[in-house]
Amino acid sequence: MTGKALKTELLTLGYRDRIVIQDLSLTLPDGKITTILGPNGCGKSTLLKALARLIPPLHGTVTLGGDDIAKIDTRALARRLAILPQASKAPEGISVSDLVRRGRTPWRGLLAPWSETDAIACERALSQVGLADLADRPLDELSGGQRQRAWIALVLAQDTPYLLLDEPTTWLDLSHQMDVLSVLRERNRNHGTTVVAVLHDLNLAVRFSDHLVLLGSNGLVDVGSPEQVMTEANLDAAFGLKSMIIADPVTGKPMVVPR
Amino acid sequence: MTARGNGRARGGGRAGVVLLVGLLLSSILASLMLGQIFLTPQDLWTGLWTGTGPGALTLRVLRGPGIATAVGVGAVLGASGTIFQILLRNPLAAPDVMGFMQGAGLAVICGVAFGLSLPLPFLAAAGGLIAAVIVAGLSYRRHGTQAALTLILVGLGMGFFCSAASSFLMTRLPLQEAADAQRWLAGSLAARNWGHALQVSATGGVLFALLAFQVRSLGLLELGDELATGLGARVRRSKYLLIATGVLLAGAGVAVAGPVPFVALMAGPLGSRMTKASSPGSRLAAAAVTGATITVLADLVARSLVPGLQLPVGVMTGIMGAPYLLWLLSREMETGDL
Repeated sequence: MTGKALKTELLTLGYRDRIVIQDLSLTLPDGKITTILGPNGCGKSTLLKALARLIPPLHGTVTLGGDDIAKIDTRALARRLAILPQASKAPEGISVSDLVRRGRTPWRGLLAPWSETDAIACERALSQVGLADLADRPLDELSGGQRQRAWIALVLAQDTPYLLLDEPTTWLDLSHQMDVLSVLRERNRNHGTTVVAVLHDLNLAVRFSDHLVLLGSNGLVDVGSPEQVMTEANLDAAFGLKSMIIADPVTGKPMVVPR
Repeated sequence: MTARGNGRARGGGRAGVVLLVGLLLSSILASLMLGQIFLTPQDLWTGLWTGTGPGALTLRVLRGPGIATAVGVGAVLGASGTIFQILLRNPLAAPDVMGFMQGAGLAVICGVAFGLSLPLPFLAAAGGLIAAVIVAGLSYRRHGTQAALTLILVGLGMGFFCSAASSFLMTRLPLQEAADAQRWLAGSLAARNWGHALQVSATGGVLFALLAFQVRSLGLLELGDELATGLGARVRRSKYLLIATGVLLAGAGVAVAGPVPFVALMAGPLGSRMTKASSPGSRLAAAAVTGATITVLADLVARSLVPGLQLPVGVMTGIMGAPYLLWLLSREMETGDL
């Protein structure tokens, strides 16, 4: 079981001469929802991209199920791990179903026709995000929340056991943020998909996640369950934020109240 | 409500496909019928099956080869433009705007001026590729939305340079050759024979077959490099292959008809709008059919406008395309993309 997880070993990331993350060793538990939190510029997105091999590490490795991801074939990796980068821009005039169908690419042969499995995966993805009725509509005509759910349907159709998302709730109002996160949570609960997300909102992250990775400007601050990680001392270390942790009146989990 | 909406959108798309193919077939028919001698469809039909009479001569020698060449040229140019428009996500990105076709033209003129005995398609392909490499090299280090715009503007400069260099080289040619070269550079379908038609179908056919294998990666690249990588595309390699295929398609058209302007620019957006196509495969197909239609019509008008005189087809596509380009530029400026 532990062998299957997504792990980093002494991972150092950066651009040119600027090191963003140094010697980070993490295990992201399988079948759980992990959220990466931290102040702007701490390297949250950089870490997520490195986990999906979008940027190469300066040192160290990322392993998936014991395999170094740098050595996995691109298509094989795309069948095991999906990533939705931040604020993707859709081609003009593309329909929702056309967008979602492209999520099937790693599973299709070069000239293979559209299969039953592909159709089922797309239908399931569309209904999971609640867009089955809008499948033939152009993406431009949808609301911001619906559009974001269409992008998520794209990576759900990819049908991978690992799903990485970079700030999937940015630009959305609170109710749409909850919508998006509940779609991901359902996927996690029903299919055992391991979800790793970068989020901004601390309290939403606590509600949504089983596991938190808290980064500060000088690297990892703490990692563990929300109860473990969300402490006044940790938040001060990561954000320089003076806060008070109280019990969320709805869930009983920790809730951050800035002082 | 949505169900009906879907039906309408799909029906509209299907009607667009029928309209598009219908337009191509009727422009071919009109082009066969009209000219110095008017032929009825009956004449053509008789000529086709009996091989005798004015219909047969028109089909086999007078108008047939030119029209077949026009269809091939329009199709390769339309597809080429669409590749770049999808890759750079900008309707201005086309081989005629970015100077690749002018580069191909310059290479052919060089071949004539310096007596290089290489086949035209090779010269055109080499010229187009060299122009593309130079444009890409000069635009290097720009990223994001700036990248596409830089490429287009540098390419525009490249186009002007190549046109000017071609004009300069023509002064070195003997008068008759210079006049031929001048016509060819304007984009011409006059006196095209079956050899030309065969050449553009053969080169186009091979390139379309290669393109069929790349359609899926084009669909991923359109979503952005990061998402494309996540979906299993080898981004860098796929881009190089697609650019090469696009430049070679444009070169295949230039080799037989010269750098006919604006077909590559217009065909994709027009075709996609009419068929409501959004996947790269259907957009490329729509662009090929639309490009063929535009070229056949432009050729028809070019030979009919002034009796007894065949204008270069490029003059007609220029007259149609220039207003479109102006409209596109003003729209891009309004939306802040330029």
